[in-house]
Amino acid sequence: MKHRGILAGAVLQSILVAFAVLSTLAAPQYSPDIPDVDPHKAFGSKNAPVTMEVFSDFQCPACKTLFTTTNRRLMEDYVSSGKVYLIHRDFPLPMHAHSRVAARYARAAAQLGKGESVEQALFQNQEKWEQNGDVDGTVAAVLSAAEMTKVRALAKGNSLDTAIDKDYALGQTYRVNQTPTTVFHCKGQIYPYSGVMTYDILKQFLEQLLAQK
Amino acid sequence: MMPSSPLNLRRAIIWIGRLVLAGIFIYAGYAKLTMGMRPRPPLGVALSFFALQVDSYRILPSWGVKLVAHTLPFAEIGLGLLLLIGWRFRIWATLVTLIMLGFFAAVVRSYALGMQINCGCFATPEPLTIKTVIRDGALLALALLMTIFAFIEARRPHPWTAPEKA
Repeated sequence: MKHRGILAGAVLQSILVAFAVLSTLAAPQYSPDIPDVDPHKAFGSKNAPVTMEVFSDFQCPACKTLFTTTNRRLMEDYVSSGKVYLIHRDFPLPMHAHSRVAARYARAAAQLGKGESVEQALFQNQEKWEQNGDVDGTVAAVLSAAEMTKVRALAKGNSLDTAIDKDYALGQTYRVNQTPTTVFHCKGQIYPYSGVMTYDILKQFLEQLLAQK
Repeated sequence: MMPSSPLNLRRAIIWIGRLVLAGIFIYAGYAKLTMGMRPRPPLGVALSFFALQVDSYRILPSWGVKLVAHTLPFAEIGLGLLLLIGWRFRIWATLVTLIMLGFFAAVVRSYALGMQINCGCFATPEPLTIKTVIRDGALLALALLMTIFAFIEARRPHPWTAPEKA
């Protein structure tokens, strides 16, 4: 019995020490000011209590799922009501041959105010253009001839590549290594999450973030 | 019946399993509740963030995801402590082994399907790779050995018990 008492005491003490060490090891994660926000690729109010940066690749199937299922409801319920500020970040993965071209076209279209319809067209026809590389044709199907001429001219320039590279570099500071990755900012803290989110579960998380005092 | 030696291989593996698995379970539960952040986020935020990670495995319905996310971190800490204390050891060792089996099955399934997700094991953005599969497999093997040996050793007189008087 005496042995057991000593053992239990030692175990309890070890646990307390371990918790103390873990508490000191936990690194503070404060949200930096969010840099390089392209107003054409951001939605909602800048003053929203929660900011979501979505690092996405147009050729990634999981990004398509996130865009076509969760993001639409998110826009309706949280972005439009000023609760969430949603920023689209380009993170074209090197293994995808056409995703950078798609990102260029989407950015060019966003500058003309046609970002949403082009993003939708790119994601909905992802299986087609990733086979034949016809990003241009996919975008042309949802824009007028005049708009398409402007988009082509913008997409050929280097300025869009610079913006895409900035997004990519920013992603690397968050240690993004897969898409989609969503970085939540709230009350000075950041919460990076990789993968598709079911709307119900995302809603629960957003409600918890919004309920913080 | 021959009493087992206090220093045999089975006892050594039981002790290694107890210490390693208890440490990992307590750390995993604690990490999920604090998210490795300072200041610590509110509990509701930490649990609902963990729910996102459970959901990313695409195995459970929404209610199941919420149930697991709100109970698993506490269960991990509780089981870790029980392994260390050793009270009713075989029951908790069996439960830990079953939980490890569940983790391993989920990780293998996700890896085999090529799902690009985070493990969610320690609430950090750790991608699920072959390393995760090997690590969980090794821990499952340790849990299995610990449990089997605990049952075997329980059938033999403890070496520290006093010899029976004639």
